Amino acid sequence: MEIPSWLLSPRLWDFLFDGVVSTLILLTIVWAERKIAARVQMRVGPLHVSPRLGGYFQLIADAVRFVMQEVIITVDSYRVLFVALPPLFVALALMPSFMVPLSPYLALLSRPSLHYGIIMALAVLFYLFIIVVGMGWAVNNRFAYIGAAREALIITAYEIPLLDAFASMFLTYRTIDPIEIVAKQTYIVGALYNPLAFIVYIIGVAMATSRFPFEIADYEGDVATGPYSDFSSIFLALTYAGGIYIALFSYSLLGALVFLGGWAPIAPGPWPADLWGNLAAAAWVMIKTFILMLFFVFLRSVMPVARLDHTLSFSWRWVLTIAVAATAVSAAEYFLL
Amino acid sequence: MGLKMEQYGMVLSEVESGPGGKRTLELLFGPQHPTSGHIRFFVELDGDIIVDIRPDPGFVHRTMEKLGETRHFMMNIPLFERLSLPDAINVTWAYSMAVERMLGYDVSERAEYLRTLFGEMSRISVHLYDLALHAIMIGSSTGFMYGFGLRDLLVNLWAIATGARTTPTWVLPGGVRRAPPKAFYERLAGFLDFLDRKMDEFYRLVVKNPVGYYRLKDVGYLSKSDAAAYLATGPGARGSGVDWDARRDMPYGVYKQLEWEVRVHDEGDSLARTLVRIEEVREAARIIRQLFKAMPMDGPLVGHNAAHKIPPKEREMLNELVRMSGYYVTTTNLAEGTGVTEGGRGRYFFQVFGAGTERLFRVRISTPSWQNLRAFMKATIGARLMDLPAIYGSFGFFPPEADR
Amino acid sequence: MAGQKVGEAIRAVLDVIGLGLKYTLRPERLTIYYPYEVPDYMGRVRGWIGLWTERCTSCMICARICPTNAIKMYMEKNGRRYPGIDYGRCIMCHYCIDACPTYALYPTDMRDLAFYRHEDMMYTPDMMRKPPQVPKLVPQVVKVVHEYSGGRVVKVRLGELGEHKPLPPAPSVPVVES
Repeated sequence: MEIPSWLLSPRLWDFLFDGVVSTLILLTIVWAERKIAARVQMRVGPLHVSPRLGGYFQLIADAVRFVMQEVIITVDSYRVLFVALPPLFVALALMPSFMVPLSPYLALLSRPSLHYGIIMALAVLFYLFIIVVGMGWAVNNRFAYIGAAREALIITAYEIPLLDAFASMFLTYRTIDPIEIVAKQTYIVGALYNPLAFIVYIIGVAMATSRFPFEIADYEGDVATGPYSDFSSIFLALTYAGGIYIALFSYSLLGALVFLGGWAPIAPGPWPADLWGNLAAAAWVMIKTFILMLFFVFLRSVMPVARLDHTLSFSWRWVLTIAVAATAVSAAEYFLL
Repeated sequence: MGLKMEQYGMVLSEVESGPGGKRTLELLFGPQHPTSGHIRFFVELDGDIIVDIRPDPGFVHRTMEKLGETRHFMMNIPLFERLSLPDAINVTWAYSMAVERMLGYDVSERAEYLRTLFGEMSRISVHLYDLALHAIMIGSSTGFMYGFGLRDLLVNLWAIATGARTTPTWVLPGGVRRAPPKAFYERLAGFLDFLDRKMDEFYRLVVKNPVGYYRLKDVGYLSKSDAAAYLATGPGARGSGVDWDARRDMPYGVYKQLEWEVRVHDEGDSLARTLVRIEEVREAARIIRQLFKAMPMDGPLVGHNAAHKIPPKEREMLNELVRMSGYYVTTTNLAEGTGVTEGGRGRYFFQVFGAGTERLFRVRISTPSWQNLRAFMKATIGARLMDLPAIYGSFGFFPPEADR
Repeated sequence: MAGQKVGEAIRAVLDVIGLGLKYTLRPERLTIYYPYEVPDYMGRVRGWIGLWTERCTSCMICARICPTNAIKMYMEKNGRRYPGIDYGRCIMCHYCIDACPTYALYPTDMRDLAFYRHEDMMYTPDMMRKPPQVPKLVPQVVKVVHEYSGGRVVKVRLGELGEHKPLPPAPSVPVVES
């Protein structure tokens, strides 16, 4: 039987793979977060729904509950943004993962624009905070305001170091093209090329996606989940209980490509160039992404929350210093390698 | 969007005092806030700094003192332990002490040892409760689960010994109600070893961890003179260097015969108060280990005067359990009595006035959380908004106990 | 107590992450998985209160010592009053049992009582004669207890949950003829 050519289109397969696998990863990561926290905390965690799978379907049950809940739009809120921003949050959070290739051929973008994939992805991700601030404004509640203001402050803490970390890696690889970046990591992954940049990346992403210990804008202790405090049902699932994990997925995908070697195979030699080879390469990228995400959600079980001003001073004094040092390391590598 | 500032909730109040005045945002913190407990704080914020905070207590006021006048004095024991369920033994001990002094009852030696043992368990319980809530307030869910997981083991031991997990109703005027079984002592010894190990891990996870350390360090400073002036008590005072502990300074129970220390830290910040808690848990474990050796394993559970009121047939069971019929026919004297114990959160004070009938004429209660509230407010002013939960938890403020 | 030094702080963070990894790989769990498992209190926990009507002398001490006024005296056909407990109010303090001069009220260790309606909570004297049948939610309910050894805690299974028995029998008291 003749396979129609559109069915073999790398764009279609990239779209499908990214969509399906990211959903699976998100479900698994939320489950893993609960299970890891439960193991550290002398508990069992989700188990009752599907005990044989370790309570994996609890996530499905929760998703159904979120969808079935009554949608409450508070009287004082600005309705247009209240309704429009949560879907926009998810869209902006997921979009970057479509801008980078998952294997040498699987990519939604083609050559001239694919060249700038990582840069565009970062640009989109840094805009997420505007959505959060907008949500804080639309929710119209004092806790949400304070949370939104905190989010606006936090971006000053992580934006420059995170950009610097990526820029250092671009300097090391002497390119910004994602495919060439991965090709340069065949033997040594980026995290070994420049460990300082990797550390900055870890801290920056933890700040950017409100992972512990930087869950400050939506800290329950004083601002009661901040900008998300009046969201319920599907809106909560799209933002606080789901959307942030999508942003984490996108950041981790970038990290997997730039720092963990992307689809660079374990054994030397290229992946097969056919569809299965490309899918296997993409799966390898996703496994690395998952491992990175696993580390970020693991932090919840061992860390309290840092204070806002401490976070800002920590970022400007230490993280920025490490980032500058990382740039120096990369510059040295640029000239030596 | 055509909205005024007031309409979208950003109510700022301006004060024209001082150079430049101040422009503050009033935040209503509680009572349905995740970390507020049953109390509301009116927090005035200037940017991130708390410039003024006013408490609005009373959401769980249950008229305990008045209810205490309307019923048989024995019926007050289950009532008063609901002041502070985590610290049930120390509360009922203070009340029983007051009633004993009013009635002129003595306490049997075995009951004194058992009360001391359970009082220290109660202290561990309330410290675990407060440390757990403090941990979740500063964001560490693991610390929360450690505290409550350990406390669950402890209350299971209580259930074996006294008959209920959280509402023991166990201390009676003149003695205690029921003797614990052999298995209780064996399991308690094992539990203390486990507790020591887990408290060490709690310390590493929450306090030594730099994230938690800087949440607590130099936060909510309460000077020694302020702590004394605002009558802070318990860890709130001992964290500020006030060396006062009712167990040592107004001796009761068998504390005089045991080797232990009052833990005092001089820094006066949240970290010092938390460290006082953690060290008191270790001290309590040390006291209980000594009690294992010194404790008489047999003997009547109530003192001579109380036993005298109990019918002969029921007096035979006094080594195992105390029945209530003797107490039911006891009436109060025209006298008064006071009882002071050192609970986990501080000093419990009960004063009872007998009326000559079965009911008390008056019961006065002073609870540590209520005393700590003013010190807590004092420590909070000038802190940042994110410090409010860290200070709240460090005082272990417990609204049901404060409101009574 | 000065602030932490940089090296100390880094070591503390690594220590905490190591602790988390250790328990992620080898958890020590305390959870008692109710209703499949129930904690064993050696039958010493205060629970549902039963009544031997033939011993009751209708002295009403139980009703008067009840701290929550949960006990009401019901008039029976023989012209005497017997206690009935409202479990919506009962706090299981067992004062009534301890105050009863003829041991007519007896304790059990049944604490898993649940009711569909408020009327179901009102127990009349004839309902108090024998313990209520608590349906098991799952076919097999296991009793567990936490045992300690060497600073560790393990959950030990003690076999299936049997019938609830009354607590150690009260000394024999002559039955009052009604």
